Amino acid sequence: MRRTLLYALLGLSGLVTVLPLLYMVSLSLQTEAETLAADAVLVPDSPQWGNYAELFTRAPFGDFIVNSLVVAGAITLAHLLFDPLVGYVFAKFRFPLRDTLFVALLATLMVPFFVRMIPLYVLMANLGWLNTYQGLVTPFLMDAFGIFLMRQFIQPIPDDLIHAARIDGASELRVYRSVILPQTRPALAVLGLFTFVFQWNEFLWPLVATTTPEMRTIPVGLTLFNQEYFTLWHLTAAGSVILFVPTAVLFVLTQRHFVRGIALTGLK
Amino acid sequence: MSVRTPRTLAGRYARTAYLFLLPAILFFAAFFYLPIGNVVATSLRTGPQADQWAGLGNYAQALGDPAVRHSFLVTVAFAVMVVIGSIVLGLALALALDQPLRGRVVFRVLLLVPYLTSVAIVGLLWRNILDPELGVLNRVLDGLGLPGQQWLNTAPLLTIAGVTLWQSVGYTMVLFLAGLQGIPETYHEAARIDGADAWRRFWRITLPLLAPTTLFVSVMAVISGLQAFGQAYIITNGGPGDATDLSVFHIFNVAFRTRDFGYSSAQSVLLLVVIVAFTLVQLRAGRRGEVTY
Repeated sequence: MRRTLLYALLGLSGLVTVLPLLYMVSLSLQTEAETLAADAVLVPDSPQWGNYAELFTRAPFGDFIVNSLVVAGAITLAHLLFDPLVGYVFAKFRFPLRDTLFVALLATLMVPFFVRMIPLYVLMANLGWLNTYQGLVTPFLMDAFGIFLMRQFIQPIPDDLIHAARIDGASELRVYRSVILPQTRPALAVLGLFTFVFQWNEFLWPLVATTTPEMRTIPVGLTLFNQEYFTLWHLTAAGSVILFVPTAVLFVLTQRHFVRGIALTGLK
Repeated sequence: MSVRTPRTLAGRYARTAYLFLLPAILFFAAFFYLPIGNVVATSLRTGPQADQWAGLGNYAQALGDPAVRHSFLVTVAFAVMVVIGSIVLGLALALALDQPLRGRVVFRVLLLVPYLTSVAIVGLLWRNILDPELGVLNRVLDGLGLPGQQWLNTAPLLTIAGVTLWQSVGYTMVLFLAGLQGIPETYHEAARIDGADAWRRFWRITLPLLAPTTLFVSVMAVISGLQAFGQAYIITNGGPGDATDLSVFHIFNVAFRTRDFGYSSAQSVLLLVVIVAFTLVQLRAGRRGEVTY
């Protein structure tokens, strides 16, 4: 009896989660007439795969995809390059002002993005970086969260390993690359996944920092798409599916890391 | 921690440390500290180029502006709905999934999927689903013999809070699950032996021991609720009227549609102060209410 109730509750929430997403797929395969029918169509008569091709002729959707890949990819690479290095320094080095710098770093976690939005816009405008990749990428190259995560992960690595490498004559960069970095692989996987997914989905900054259609990322392209070019639900849905699928695949392949990562760190 | 060798990693490696830190120091200076300084500086200025000194004029104007006050109240109401929903639904789902059920991993993964979608997808999808004319939700309700609703007209704020919860509840569920798994089974067993029923065990053991998780969930939900943007931008465009004119959406419009950077910066600073104050109050209240066993 109690089990049945539990399954009913979970089944219902599962349906509420999944059905809207399935409906998005259905919409993406409907004809325009079907999307505008007085009674919503649940399953299209014949799937219109051509909708996906139409996206690319009705809007610079190819550009949107490239932009999203470049921006989310570059930011993820920057995090993987810098966060473990900085985390290593805070975990294993002693130097003047270390604690002050670390507190100053953690303090940035208290700064929501909207506070930086206007000054960053003005800065990018002055640099002539609006509508450029560097404008889209630079505000997110690092964040305190990734550095903190890596520091927590590196701290338990025994100092003796580092000493041994130094005695063997390894340079400081070599110690980092050959001793520390290989140990951080699981944490790097989590960091890379989260960074990519959140940047892939980012909405506010690409909306602010781009003005021409050709520089938009998929999320921004989709919404302006919906207001500017045309309000065509089948194309909007097809674009949404294209935005959604990479994240969904990545998530299904790595869900263990995701769930553990959230549970451990309470990310975002 | 390195107890045996504190000196060897010290002093003489300071140069290396700073060399390694240099990119980070430059980055955080340029993209966090400089902007924070700039937003405060801009908030004290006025004019189309934000080049005239205004002192605290923008702040005085914002505090007296009914539109700003309205958007702030709307935002707080929205955040409260999201917080309550996150705690109640997230905890209920976590309690259900904490049971030894078949397929619970599948449910756990499933419920997390919307959290990983862009607010652009969520907003557009639900704008379509909720549409009174062509939306599928009213059709489903009709099929169940229930009356359709003008969701975004009669209860717009509640509706976009609901959409936000749809997206985020998997995340709070995972946090609560982690919290639940941290409670030693022995506490429950002891209570069971003492004859406490499930209800009593929940109120007397589970809930108090979950206090740190609940606090964390509520702080995160308040912070993200107070800075929601996409929901208003995509689903309702702040409307109907100004019913969903969330603060960040309001700031965005003042900045980028009316181009008043001084005034919008002042509003940003005010909202930041509110968010920081909320967070500190919650953390302090949490510390006082903490239960130790």
